Amino acid sequence: MSNAEKCVEVRNVHKSFRRGSEVVDVLNGLNLEVAEREFVSLMGPSGSGKTTLLNLIAGLDQPSEGDVIVRGEHISKMTESQLATWRTRTIGFVFQFYNLLPVLTAYRNVELPLLLLPLSASERKRQVTTALDIVGLSDRLHHRPGQLSGGQQQRVGIARAIVTDPALIVADEPTGALDFKSADEILNLLGELRNTLNKTIIIVTHDPRAAARADREVHLDKGQLVTTAQG
Amino acid sequence: MKYLFLVLENIRRNKTRSILTGLVTMVMVLVVTLVFTVLTALDKSMVEKQSNLKAIVTEKWQIPSMMPYSYASALSEGGAAPDDPDAARPEDYMSWGFFVGSTEENPAKRSFENLFFSFIMEPEKARTMLDEVDGLSDEEALPLTTAIQRMKDVPNGVIVGQERLDKMKKRVGDRITVFGRNYRDMNLELEIVGTFPREPARYADSSVISRDYFNRQLDAYQQSHNNKPHPMAEKTLGLVWLRLKDRKAFNKVSGQILASPSFTNPPVKIETSSTGIGGFLEAWRDIIWGVRWLMAPACLLTLSLVISNAISISVRERQLEFAVMKVLGFRPNQILMLVLAEALLIGTVSGLLSAGLTYLVVNGMGGLPFRIAFFPKFAVPLDALWWGAGMGALTAYMGSVGPARRARSVKVAEVFARVT
Repeated sequence: MSNAEKCVEVRNVHKSFRRGSEVVDVLNGLNLEVAEREFVSLMGPSGSGKTTLLNLIAGLDQPSEGDVIVRGEHISKMTESQLATWRTRTIGFVFQFYNLLPVLTAYRNVELPLLLLPLSASERKRQVTTALDIVGLSDRLHHRPGQLSGGQQQRVGIARAIVTDPALIVADEPTGALDFKSADEILNLLGELRNTLNKTIIIVTHDPRAAARADREVHLDKGQLVTTAQG
Repeated sequence: MKYLFLVLENIRRNKTRSILTGLVTMVMVLVVTLVFTVLTALDKSMVEKQSNLKAIVTEKWQIPSMMPYSYASALSEGGAAPDDPDAARPEDYMSWGFFVGSTEENPAKRSFENLFFSFIMEPEKARTMLDEVDGLSDEEALPLTTAIQRMKDVPNGVIVGQERLDKMKKRVGDRITVFGRNYRDMNLELEIVGTFPREPARYADSSVISRDYFNRQLDAYQQSHNNKPHPMAEKTLGLVWLRLKDRKAFNKVSGQILASPSFTNPPVKIETSSTGIGGFLEAWRDIIWGVRWLMAPACLLTLSLVISNAISISVRERQLEFAVMKVLGFRPNQILMLVLAEALLIGTVSGLLSAGLTYLVVNGMGGLPFRIAFFPKFAVPLDALWWGAGMGALTAYMGSVGPARRARSVKVAEVFARVT
């Protein structure tokens, strides 16, 4: 894989947490490369470090050692404020439990990341309606999360993730809280985002069916990459 | 402004909590606004003026001051010798005596409702020399000037404040008999010729009777008592007010009066009205200090603790949301500002609302009835609006800065701490 094709590069990353007096090593010298427009699933048993790795790639945490490079930027060297700005422009994050703000409508939830960009109200409106249109919720603009089903909430979550047109979408168990049908629809949607909008997608999942939708399955165990297989 | 909806929606999130926080803010701001209303008025009355100032001449060693009326004429000239062209003279003057009585003849039935307190003075001076009345426009002072004019035809006329009229259940045109208390055995037959303007409210409970009329009543008393004067006849002058051009004129008039042999038995003192009021307020010094430096700060501290508690609960409940916002790209300081903005909005709006309502309601009732010194009532100043908004904002800031900093420092990885 040439440098131009690399979207994510994780180099010899270590991450440890302190729990009281005990130091827990979660990632132990992990290396991973993800190409542009690639759909990768991270799998592994609980405690294997999947979410920790995802957080490092998304710039939500810093490695104890090693380097994380996303689209040529060494994000492990950025300050918290720099990371925040970088995330707005580069990363779309999809949560397992959607994490929509309950007081805001679907429209306002999707608009939230756009407030951080220098856009006019009309530009924001155009982008929000486009994003909600892509996920098929243009008729639910003014519904609050409590008025939407789990699948619809996750679609709003995905619309919020893509509204700033980021290159990389990371999703932490995006189907973990959904029924079979809704999960299938969400996976289809993620696939479409990769195919039609050329997004790079990394998902953490326990679900082999979800993992199988990816181009590549990456298995972690005890903080190390154990296998990688084409989907 | 684009974040305003976020602030408003978060305030609406828990309406009960937001309303309760707002109500507590309103109550505390109400208390402090009323306290500041009184303190500001007192402070203002004690500020030394440099020009167009008023001086008060009183008996030097005795409170209440009771000088002979024979002092009045010379004092009205500022103690200046009649043939001295270089002497300083007041621009205006007013003499005050005090007649306290009751409209109830039976001493056993006398009460605050039938109490009658009156300035014995030159009626026309009520327009030119009474504090705050002297600043009214002719239109505003019309009820008073009409009443003063009427007193020229009705020597036993009395001008009575509206509140006192209401308490006595009397109207303009009614006649009353006042039974003297400080002037025993002197009963005055008076005709109500008019009332004071509604503003300033400080004279709403007072009245004015004519000095000439009162002196004639003293003469009548003497004639009806075997030519024996009333025991108080030589003590009818409480104080004399002098209007002076500036500080220099005050110093000169002060020197003239203190050097004059005419005012030695009893001796007199002269001071600016602000100093006089300050001296009068000495009796309340500790209370005023306590109210200013203990009660008002305690109210503000309590308010900031209430706000702190409410915002702390809100921040604790929204840890996950702050983490999500950070994931979306909100910077720590933006989250801090959002939390501060919520508190500041509640505090400022509640404070402004409270002060505004206090201004309208209290002033609509004629002022805050708090009797201290010469002030029966205090009007809430228009400045109270920004006091209220300022107090609300300040206490909201004090109360929310801690919780806002906690929201700012939410660690995303810790909130989503699930090692998988």
